[in-house]
Amino acid sequence: MSGTRFVNERMVGSSVLPEEAIPLVEGEARFLNDISFAGMFHVAFLRSQHAHARLARIDTSRARALPGVVTVLTGADLLGKVEPFTSMPNRFSGGQSTQHWLAVEKVRFCGEAICTVVAESRALAEDAIELIEVDYDPLPVVTNARDGERDGSPLVHDTCPNNYLIRRDYQSGDVDAAFANAHLVVKRRFQLGRKQALCMEGRGCVAAWRDGSFKLSMWMSHQLPYVVRHYLAKHLGLSETDIRVVAPQTGGGFGQKASIYPEEFVCAFLALQLRRPVKWVEDRLENMVASTHAREHDIEVALALDAEGHILALQSDIWTDVGAYSTYLWSAGMEPLQTGGLMPGPYQVKALRYTTRGVATNKTPVGPYRAVGRPSASASLELLLDQAAAELGIDPVEIRRRNIIPQSAMPFRNGNNLVHDHVGYMPCLDMALAKSGYPVLRKEQQAMLAKGKLRGIGVACFAELTGLGTSTAVGPGTLLQPGRDAVTLRLETSGKLTIAAALPSQGQRIATAMRQVAADELGIRLDDIACLTNDTGMAPYGFGTFASRTAVFGSGAVIQAAGELRRRILAVAAHIMQTPSEELMLADSVVETVDRTRSLPLRQLAEHSFFSAKDIPSEINQGFEVTAFYDPKHGSFAAGAHVVVVDVDEETGHVEIVRYVAAEDVGRIINPAVVEGQIIGGIAQGVGEALYEQLIYDENGQPRTVTLADYLVPSALEVPHIELHHANTPSGALGGFKGCGEGSIIGALAGISCAVADALRQRGGDIFHFPATPERVLRGLGVALDDAA
Amino acid sequence: MPEQQTITLTVNGRVHTKDVATRTSLADFLRDQLHLTGTHLGCEHGVCGACTVTVDGRSARACLMLAVQADGREVVTIEGLKDPAGVWHPVQKAFFENFAIQCGFCTPGFFATAIELLGQNPDPTEAEIREYLSGNICRCSGYQAIVEAVRAAAAAMQDHQRG
Repeated sequence: MSGTRFVNERMVGSSVLPEEAIPLVEGEARFLNDISFAGMFHVAFLRSQHAHARLARIDTSRARALPGVVTVLTGADLLGKVEPFTSMPNRFSGGQSTQHWLAVEKVRFCGEAICTVVAESRALAEDAIELIEVDYDPLPVVTNARDGERDGSPLVHDTCPNNYLIRRDYQSGDVDAAFANAHLVVKRRFQLGRKQALCMEGRGCVAAWRDGSFKLSMWMSHQLPYVVRHYLAKHLGLSETDIRVVAPQTGGGFGQKASIYPEEFVCAFLALQLRRPVKWVEDRLENMVASTHAREHDIEVALALDAEGHILALQSDIWTDVGAYSTYLWSAGMEPLQTGGLMPGPYQVKALRYTTRGVATNKTPVGPYRAVGRPSASASLELLLDQAAAELGIDPVEIRRRNIIPQSAMPFRNGNNLVHDHVGYMPCLDMALAKSGYPVLRKEQQAMLAKGKLRGIGVACFAELTGLGTSTAVGPGTLLQPGRDAVTLRLETSGKLTIAAALPSQGQRIATAMRQVAADELGIRLDDIACLTNDTGMAPYGFGTFASRTAVFGSGAVIQAAGELRRRILAVAAHIMQTPSEELMLADSVVETVDRTRSLPLRQLAEHSFFSAKDIPSEINQGFEVTAFYDPKHGSFAAGAHVVVVDVDEETGHVEIVRYVAAEDVGRIINPAVVEGQIIGGIAQGVGEALYEQLIYDENGQPRTVTLADYLVPSALEVPHIELHHANTPSGALGGFKGCGEGSIIGALAGISCAVADALRQRGGDIFHFPATPERVLRGLGVALDDAA
Repeated sequence: MPEQQTITLTVNGRVHTKDVATRTSLADFLRDQLHLTGTHLGCEHGVCGACTVTVDGRSARACLMLAVQADGREVVTIEGLKDPAGVWHPVQKAFFENFAIQCGFCTPGFFATAIELLGQNPDPTEAEIREYLSGNICRCSGYQAIVEAVRAAAAAMQDHQRG
């Protein structure tokens, strides 16, 4: 696809077309549901219809009797045979939750799996599900964090007093003194609803017994194949060497496919028991209730400021409704801890205090989702900065300028103990303002107001810590502390290069990016490089794709491995060509003398070194396969500033985004078109988060948004054209790379929220609860609405 | 209604006669009985548009249509978009070259809808494209690259006609 390239033409920085997308163009990509085996059985799950109930009786006899049904399992059938999930961090206070793969004695959320049916077809399995009788004894339910925390509230788990799955109290600096001496103290409440990653392809797996030398092979729509393998072994009592996990073509992940869930593990158990392949593919209704939810915060935040608007202290009280179980492996700590800990964002906050709680409720568990915690943290603070600016009589941009961490102060250790370096917060803000024509926007806003039209402008700055290494935890205290990842480079005997890593793609074009980095590092033509990222049977050990880490880890490991591979290649070439290796270079897949008078194609060199190895001393011919691990230690801060303009219809409460300008610092860019797709895609999810998407439960814990007709995902009409600009500062990681998968959703929620609030402020209104639905906007304008509406 | 029925239909230019369970959706029939797995099921209730195929020249949700309803009709799926020489449809080419595909799960449905749009309106504006594609959900791209791809495909198809 890349055509001819010339010596020293750099691939990094070029929008190389992604060969890996060709099967998708032609309809030949193999997603999970496209994988089948002879003799394969199909699996379906009976799910709880109650949010909280004791299971009085389960009668599976009619289901078992249906022709075509192979077996039916209940939770009791798994007891003692498999280890349930318990994942709470123990560094902070909070109780433990134990999640059985199929519910035992009690169900704790609507959608929790109770029974599984194995049948000859999915339709038959679903028919059999209908024949299972369950008697429920309903129990009192907990449906929100604030109620659940109160003494005397029903308990979701007897092991968790006040329903705390986690609670952390943090303080650095003298917060009390800062508030006591402040010129101005501002406070507000920020609530964000519960949402869904809504991958277009749900979860699913094919579990196969005895595939080659493996006892168990799992094809699984997942972001972390090696982690799955480790925990399958642990929970099923197998050796890791018995298991292969492959993430096939995956239809989106966004963090939802980074957790370990009961259903896939039940399938693995079934494959081992039945000695047959089994398949389970989640349907959309299951996905809406049984795959992790995200967010659902209620935050009270306060700022102490001096007379010039400098932040003296930031304090927050955070309630996260984390649902019925502590998500395996990330735990219930993800959202609450990151919301509190990362709230300072790109601003200098020397005194910081927060109390954050993850409260168990009778709802679907909350797990990782794009930019965990930061969107709510950022929106809380940005809205409060606007409020403070209004009270101080300065422009919202000015208060940000006075508090942003400048590059001149870096490395800068903030009140949350994170070190900011190699990141340009101010350049992003400057660029977003310049490109949006901010002063003109303010004039236009006033002109609109004079005509009776309500317009709002939001400016939001954010920091996004990407590529977290061993010195910075993704989730403090959780079972998973990923800090290193590996890449193997192998020069094949054909002279082609294979890159192998356990960094699967859910659409991020990771293979293309890794090929680009390797092409530059080695001087091998892009067309001569293949990349496999999804198979524990082939890849070196690695954690997987999440937390905006893959570009940083994968590229760093490629660079390290390439150095050693190049050395080995040139050593062999030196022997064959009878020329000192320092007088040789590798470019365009050919080894040449630096005077370019003699050359040896890699194909010849590789073939020679393997098939005619006796000609080359073994101490020189060390094999053309190198694995390197990379640890970026502190990680790389990415950044952005978004300027958003919205028009608010005072009759209907409808919000329309009329202008969206984003300036981003994502470090050195590998593939600009891919990066642009990541950033704009993140903004689109932020549009949903800010204006449309919410999972609603009634007072009995019944989910009321289980179809896409109820849960509003933005279409091409709701997502505006995004004007994207770059203000990049290379990171301190190898190659200068940063992650870019998550950051933009932070700026989107904060920027849109600020714009809506800014519009309402023109009429003396405000808004504290998001998404900003028409109803909430009208209430924010002081319109009295019927509560039943 | 009988539980099984024999249907004859044309899919991607080939005539098929098959026994189908009357409850089988067109999408399941295409995927399971004809092994055309390029048609994807995103919601199975007609909202997301991932399963959109072309039936007698019009876009249709393959999840909401029964296989028996396709009896006697002509269906085109993503596997049938290349021309007889194996050259990509301009919409396929434009999506690829404009990076309009990320995870690719929704892509087959966007192809069907975009091709229908360009058949009716060879030179759509950005607003017209967004309106026409609003029944297809993409969770990855934010739609911008898709809109650009449809404009590029429109330009390519007009050039081709002119020239």
